[in-house]
Amino acid sequence: MPARHVVGPRPDRHGAVSASPDILEQLLHPVSGDTGIDRKALAELLLEAARSMKPDIDTPSEGLLRADPRLAQLRMVLLGPEIEALSRLEDPAQFAAAVGRVLPSAVAHASGDGQLGLALAPALEKATQSSIRSNPRTLVNILYPLIVPAISKSIGETIDKTFQSLNESLKHSLTWRGLRWRLEAWRSGQSFAAVVLKHTLVYQVEHVFLIHRHTGLLMSHVAAENAESQDPQIVSAMLVAIQDFVRDSFHGAEQQGLDALRLGELRLWSEAGPFATLVAVIRGNPPEDLHEVLTITLSRIHSEYNLLLETFDGDSTGLEGVEADLTTCVAQRQQAPLQARTGFPWLVALTVLVVLLLVAAWGIHWWLGERRWDDYVARLQAQPGIVIIETGQHDGKYLIEGLRDPLAADPEALLRAAGLVPGQVAFRWVPYEGLDAPIVLKRLVASLAPPAGVTLTINGNRIVANGSASSAWLDRARLAAETMPAGAPVFDLSAVTNADAARDAHWADYVGLLRDQPGIVITEAGQRDGRFVISGLRDPLAANPLNMLSEAGLNPLLVTSHWAPYESLDPTIVLKRLQKSLDPPASVALMVEGDTIAAIGSAPSLWLERARMVARLLPSGAPRLDLSQVRNVTDPELVKLSDTIQATVIRFDYNQPLPAAGQDETLDQLASELNRLASLAATWHFTIQVMVTGHADASGTGAFNLSLSLARAEAVIALLNKHGVDPEMLGLRGAGALEPLENKGAPETARSGDRRVSFTIEMQAQS
Amino acid sequence: MSGTLQKKICMIGAFSVGKTSLVKRYVQSVFSETYLTTVGVKIDKKALDVSGRTVNLILWDVAGEDDISSLRMSYLRGAAGYVLVADGTRPSTVDVALSLRERVTTEYGPLPFVLLLNKYDLTDQWEISDAALAGLRDSGWWARPTSARTGEGVEEAFRHLAVSLAS
Repeated sequence: MPARHVVGPRPDRHGAVSASPDILEQLLHPVSGDTGIDRKALAELLLEAARSMKPDIDTPSEGLLRADPRLAQLRMVLLGPEIEALSRLEDPAQFAAAVGRVLPSAVAHASGDGQLGLALAPALEKATQSSIRSNPRTLVNILYPLIVPAISKSIGETIDKTFQSLNESLKHSLTWRGLRWRLEAWRSGQSFAAVVLKHTLVYQVEHVFLIHRHTGLLMSHVAAENAESQDPQIVSAMLVAIQDFVRDSFHGAEQQGLDALRLGELRLWSEAGPFATLVAVIRGNPPEDLHEVLTITLSRIHSEYNLLLETFDGDSTGLEGVEADLTTCVAQRQQAPLQARTGFPWLVALTVLVVLLLVAAWGIHWWLGERRWDDYVARLQAQPGIVIIETGQHDGKYLIEGLRDPLAADPEALLRAAGLVPGQVAFRWVPYEGLDAPIVLKRLVASLAPPAGVTLTINGNRIVANGSASSAWLDRARLAAETMPAGAPVFDLSAVTNADAARDAHWADYVGLLRDQPGIVITEAGQRDGRFVISGLRDPLAANPLNMLSEAGLNPLLVTSHWAPYESLDPTIVLKRLQKSLDPPASVALMVEGDTIAAIGSAPSLWLERARMVARLLPSGAPRLDLSQVRNVTDPELVKLSDTIQATVIRFDYNQPLPAAGQDETLDQLASELNRLASLAATWHFTIQVMVTGHADASGTGAFNLSLSLARAEAVIALLNKHGVDPEMLGLRGAGALEPLENKGAPETARSGDRRVSFTIEMQAQS
Repeated sequence: MSGTLQKKICMIGAFSVGKTSLVKRYVQSVFSETYLTTVGVKIDKKALDVSGRTVNLILWDVAGEDDISSLRMSYLRGAAGYVLVADGTRPSTVDVALSLRERVTTEYGPLPFVLLLNKYDLTDQWEISDAALAGLRDSGWWARPTSARTGEGVEEAFRHLAVSLAS
């Protein structure tokens, strides 16, 4: 519309707007084809418009008003067809049709400008969302061919990365360097794998090529400092050629690019975009993360230079900015960490040595412990009275189960001997009675307590006792030997001598001697607690057993005797008893003749009489006393003396209690005769009673006479007593005047003979 | 400031027509000839100045084949033009070149190319008549006899191609 240039007056150099008359003239005179315009009115309007902008302009027509209704008219004059066209646009259908016609080309024109993308982005986003919501299948179908290879590649790279990390970790986990890195990881809090990668992934991106995919032409290239290479254009073309070669040569790779090449420590990684391929030449061992860096760079280049990439025909004009992107890739490097210090690593060597020594010490300790344990178990197994059923370890402790005789060796004591700590081992023993010879030996020693003189030894399956022992011990040992359980060793006591043999022989002799003794009956004889014991019946007249001990050679202190008294009917003892009780005169001898005790000799009748009485009193079953061989003889002196004494009379004067004068001599005589009689009576074992009878004459009363006669007898007894006669043998009697010698009628002189004391002798055999 | 200008050019022709010799003396080469037998292609570069701007011709020396069907056509992808090489002492190679041109055209459309009839120094064995050459030129082709040995026509051929591509 050329008119606009005219209508919009531009400020000239001096800031003034001039409405040239030529222009007005031009406006006022219609040009060909421009009919129907009221040019005059137009000119006035233009002048009015100019004045409104610049009031000092000359105004040929002052009457024009700002709100002149002619303006609308003018609008119609000038813009009639356009207003009509615009009014058509108010119809939405017509407007839509009009926009639809120009939209594709409008968008195509605007796409060079980023604004369109920004403006459309929200609307497209919403449209995409609703489309996906309504039919997700469509989007899946569109994205599937693109997204699946991308995902598989991404997964592949992740797995590669994981394996790389794993490989490096494994490779270095057991080396010294690995240990150092482990320490570093511990110190820095990183994972071990991360530290390993940091140290091992030493690499340098030396070249980055951005290659146009279609033509294989190089679009941009950046090399690291000091990196050498041939002409990058040739190289990039060759790379494409090689990729083509591989793609053509191997079926199935048509849609794929060549991802990686490797030659020694040089690697060539290729990331393909829609229009361009990014190829990095890397020296060393790059981390898989680098793929990500390359991919991001490539996608950034694509988004920034999309059109240029698509239309690239060899002219790299406009792509200069790509170099900056590529430079970031070349900056990717990982330097080898500086070696701290070279030279011999003393600390390392020392540490290794210490560790080795510790390990060796531990190993030796362990080995010794195991050996000690084995030794101990073997030793225990060899012990008699111990049967090991099971050994093992539990909760860090050794464990032994088995059977054990209470008399067997103490396993705990053996433990210390084997060098093991008692707390290290737990025992579980079940008691049993062992029949091994050593254990049986121990048991015998414990139960029998052999005396010092006896030794017990094992000989094969026999336990042999040697030495000498008391018979008491021997008795107990024999009992033990007889009661040994079946299967146990034989207990042989044959070699033990009896230390008490001599004593025992003496005892036997003694007992035999006693048995032969009359009046002794042995009811029990034996040994108890090392002492001899004897008991029985003994007649008091029998021999004394105690006296016989020493004769038999026995120590009386070793013998306990219990004797109960009894009366023996043995002839010898009966003889003894008769000897004692009869006290036979020397002229009589008693002797045993078979079942009879015979008395031989002569004896007075009084003794004979007594002997006969005793013989009658002998118990039944006792030997008979035979007195037939004793001749009866009487002592003439006794008879004479008895007659003399009985003939003796002591005279008294009338009414006098004392003997008459001249009677002393008679009394003396009588006293000596009585004493003689007493001694004879003792000899002959009879008792004498001499009755002293006092008499009075018939004068006087009887009571007086009786009293007088008693007084006279008492006086004589006193006198006799005075002369040494035992008063015991004298009896007292007063006869009064009742026993006169003369008749009653005789003269008084004759009656003087009645005043007297007479004597009568009674002799009795002793019972 | 304008960036570099590169063009991918393919050298194609029958076996032993002297493609490699042709470029050997006149191009910047970094790869040995073994690439031809291993990868089947060898890349060289020829830099030319066209109207004050350097044009880098990236030359893809594709291994020569008598059997044209076995030519790796994928190497021609993205090529801006190509150099057809035939042996002037062997007319059959010209036929091969013509067939190759047809294949390329079928595959990638009409691309600028030049036809070089090589071994022009072997005058006694030369079998391409001037008339035949003129015939080729008349059909609108840029065809020249060249000699890799003497260098005759080589520079001119590359320049012609470069100019036609850079314009």
